[in-house]
Amino acid sequence: MSKKILIVDDDQEIRSYLSELFGDNGYETVTAEDGIVAIEVAEKETPDLITLDLEMPNEWGPRFYRKLSQNEALKRTPVIVISGLNANQYAIPKAVATLTKPFDADQLIAIVKETIG
Amino acid sequence: MFKKIILATTGSPASFGAARVAFDMAKRYGSEVTIFHVLGVPTKAFSQVVNDVRTGEEIEVDADYLAWVEEELKTTYAKQFAGAENAKIVLATGMPPREILREARNQDADLIVMGASSGDSAKYQRGYPGSTLQKVAKAARCPVLTVHRESASYWGGFSNILFGTDFSKQATSAFKFALNTARELDCDLTIFHALDISGKVLDQDQIEEQLIVARKRIRATYVPLMGDFKNFDIEVWEGAPYVEIVKLAREKQVDLIVMAHHAHELDAEKAKIGSTVEQVIVRANCPVVSVSKPDKV
Repeated sequence: MSKKILIVDDDQEIRSYLSELFGDNGYETVTAEDGIVAIEVAEKETPDLITLDLEMPNEWGPRFYRKLSQNEALKRTPVIVISGLNANQYAIPKAVATLTKPFDADQLIAIVKETIG
Repeated sequence: MFKKIILATTGSPASFGAARVAFDMAKRYGSEVTIFHVLGVPTKAFSQVVNDVRTGEEIEVDADYLAWVEEELKTTYAKQFAGAENAKIVLATGMPPREILREARNQDADLIVMGASSGDSAKYQRGYPGSTLQKVAKAARCPVLTVHRESASYWGGFSNILFGTDFSKQATSAFKFALNTARELDCDLTIFHALDISGKVLDQDQIEEQLIVARKRIRATYVPLMGDFKNFDIEVWEGAPYVEIVKLAREKQVDLIVMAHHAHELDAEKAKIGSTVEQVIVRANCPVVSVSKPDKV
């Protein structure tokens, strides 16, 4: 059974690109455009890994992460931050990795494989 | 509660974090934001020639120069101006702290937002807030929100507030601001006291006894002021207070720290910014609000 990745980003193009990239590498994907939708999707789909943007309308990345870490069933889900902001490595210190847009797709896939296989 | 925000800026990279917070607040909370820039200090009284605050060069302030500075600021903050309907630029000449305070008073501002220093790379400026912030934070009638590290420029709105207290009288005003913000913006609020054991060797039973006492004191002092507000918790840790505040903020993904401007000196006119809030400002991963006076909390 393939591993499932939740892609959280307000940019439709990034969501499509990541869905295709992960799909090509054998992962199943689900998406959310902000933190509010993301927590609902995460509860329903229990993903194996989450890629998370930081600046999003409605509910931003760190706020979503805080809700995630308070959820008993989801709090151990590894998170990879993918953001265009500077100094973003400090936003979620417990993230398994932080990538700055534009990011290297090979590097991202290598991190995902290392994290969830 | 953040109807009028003043972003006091030199336009230098050191103020970019503060600008991001001010503009984001304006968009998220519908605030009016004034980008306030002091051009320089007049070389003589009523002179049109000023010493530029950043370069120190003598500059004649005329209509062309004012238009050029305004355009520079618009270019510097072009990304933030996009979509910011209630943003305006105000330019002034004079001593920066005095002019910032004057503008805040004239506008009856709810919040002043600024960087901790003008960005000089000198070591003492990296480790301590600049003199403009020190003067503004001390005398402002409204709370002053400071962003020092770029990573402190937050990633969205406020949702999780840490109020650090030493139980001083001044901390009560800071608490009211923290509570009102938490209520209005539907935030979680952590009330925190750090038992200062820096440089002391204490018996562990003694430390733990004091932690219990501090926890009871928080319950007795602040909980009765909260009414039906329930989104709070209480933490009491031992250590060096500024280190513990920064650590707890990081651990809890806090996006705003609120503290009193000073603790020991009861007269706000004489008090210097507290050493703990000073160190929290330069080290925190989120904006820090210091509250000096009870007027606008």
